[in-house]
Amino acid sequence: MSAGNDFIWLALVVLGGLLAAALIGLGVALLRLREAEEKILERESGHGSILDRLQENEFRLRTIIESEPECVKLQAEDGTVLEINPAGLRLVDANQPADIIGRKIYSVVAPEYIEIYRENMRRVFAGEAVVYEFRAITLKNRIAWMETHAAPLRDARGNIYALLGITRDITEHKLAEEQARRHQTELARVARLSTMGEMATGIAHELNQPLSAIANFARGCIRRLRSDRMTVEELIEPLEEVCEQAERAGEILRHVRDFVRKSELQTRPMDINQIVRAVVKFTEHEARHQRTMVRLQLDPKLPRVIVDSIMIEQVICNLVRNAVEAIAEANSARREITIHTRLFDDHAVEVEIGDTGPGLSEAVIDQVFDQFFTTKRDGVGMGLSISRSIIESHGGDVRAESGGTGATFRFTLPTSDRQAKKHERADSIHS
Amino acid sequence: MNEPTVFIVDDDQAVARSLRWLIESVQLKVEVFPSAQAFLDGYFAAKLGCLVLDVRMPGMSGIELQERLTAQRIRVPIIFITGHGDVQVAVRAVQAGAFDFIEKPFNDQDLLDRIQRAIAFDAERRERDAKFARLSALFASLTPREREVLDLVVAGMSNKAVANTLGLSAKTVEVHRAKVMEKLQARSVADLVKMSMQKQVLP
Repeated sequence: MSAGNDFIWLALVVLGGLLAAALIGLGVALLRLREAEEKILERESGHGSILDRLQENEFRLRTIIESEPECVKLQAEDGTVLEINPAGLRLVDANQPADIIGRKIYSVVAPEYIEIYRENMRRVFAGEAVVYEFRAITLKNRIAWMETHAAPLRDARGNIYALLGITRDITEHKLAEEQARRHQTELARVARLSTMGEMATGIAHELNQPLSAIANFARGCIRRLRSDRMTVEELIEPLEEVCEQAERAGEILRHVRDFVRKSELQTRPMDINQIVRAVVKFTEHEARHQRTMVRLQLDPKLPRVIVDSIMIEQVICNLVRNAVEAIAEANSARREITIHTRLFDDHAVEVEIGDTGPGLSEAVIDQVFDQFFTTKRDGVGMGLSISRSIIESHGGDVRAESGGTGATFRFTLPTSDRQAKKHERADSIHS
Repeated sequence: MNEPTVFIVDDDQAVARSLRWLIESVQLKVEVFPSAQAFLDGYFAAKLGCLVLDVRMPGMSGIELQERLTAQRIRVPIIFITGHGDVQVAVRAVQAGAFDFIEKPFNDQDLLDRIQRAIAFDAERRERDAKFARLSALFASLTPREREVLDLVVAGMSNKAVANTLGLSAKTVEVHRAKVMEKLQARSVADLVKMSMQKQVLP
């Protein structure tokens, strides 16, 4: 589903709304005219010229409603259809007005929507203007999705005596919406899969390093022992190396587990620098593949941040990966990503990820966080939008900038200080 | 004799240390460099040996280092170590003149065999280079006239035919020829032919 289609639908809905409002206004005017006309007839039968004008007006309005391409109808409180225009007859597959006028509207509403329809009727007769959707089963048993804009009609004393409804067929829109939703689910799945595939490649490479080091140390020992060129004491050092590398492999797996574990936002006071280092370890393979250096400028004296570390890892991972891709795509001469951490203010820490890629144009900067907005050839445009929602759910915010050298993304995260104060406040309220 | 050295360039220090430990177990000398640039800065081209190089490194990659060495006419044989999914890169590296490549995880014997072959290759090349340098020096000591006489003799002409061709007396040709034999330290015409061919064949 493209943004263009979304826009067209939005425009249609807005137009529909405007049209409905106009028609309701028109309908109201029509009925007011009729009331006025009656009053005039009652009290001032002598004023023929005014009457003529009013009749002329009513005729004109009736013509407009009759030729109106959307269904316009009047209903009584019990759902009886009082009046309906030709477009309305077509909508419910009626051959003549008698097929539907005088019958209950519920005869064309799908059973599972009757209650919803009744509720909306109640609201209109209580004085509200409403918009509702329902599934219709027409007189010829055709199933269609309908949308009705309904408003109450009042008599001279202000009593509501009918519902004026403008209804249109939104079946196509519904199907398109359904398709878009399915497509979106599919995209999310593909994005997840490709991230998993990339991760698998990264993990394979990461694990290869300590595993080959272990094999080399062990084989070196065996060779020396076989040729009697090694004492037992001399075994200690290489064996320590073996243990260290086994632990390194274990650490990588632990990170993988943490990374993929699905969980709700579970915030804890965390060292942001530790999170940054963990992500760098993960994305190192990709960066290396693109001959890109990742520099860290981490302030060691930062307060702890209150975050779900896995979520924040995902955000940083996303930003670093985007940076690597931007540098690769532009084939930049300088290939560097710099990650800064610093104190933002008394309550927040800031993380900055800058790259030496082509940067972002003014036009793009405003859109980078939008869903499905992407500058990548085969991107789906979900990464930054997800990142932003993660940061915002932590109470921070994220910004994109572009200066002379590449793009810079900055986001803030609350520190334990503010959290502590919040708790204090909460405590004082309770006590 | 120039003792062979295995040069290791790998940014992963643990892997580099383990390679050193493994390679030293067969009593080879090892020098480790943490980056391609460090190798360029610290390598002494006169040393016999081979280079064990990680394809992927931050900064200058293994492939880039190979390009740099080729450009500088440093012909140390390179064994590339490749990781997951890098085989195509390695194949291209071999096409560009790398000695060999080995994929991680590798069998230790495979790596050590490749290292031995690379060192033997380097030793041969150095010997060939030395021989060529020696021959070049000998040939350079010949006068232009002696060079002409040598070329014709090697082409299979008799002294008389050479004399006719160059418009010299047979006696003069005889003198030149003796001088050539002496300068090139050749004992026979067969030696001369052999040396001329080597001179042409060697790089």
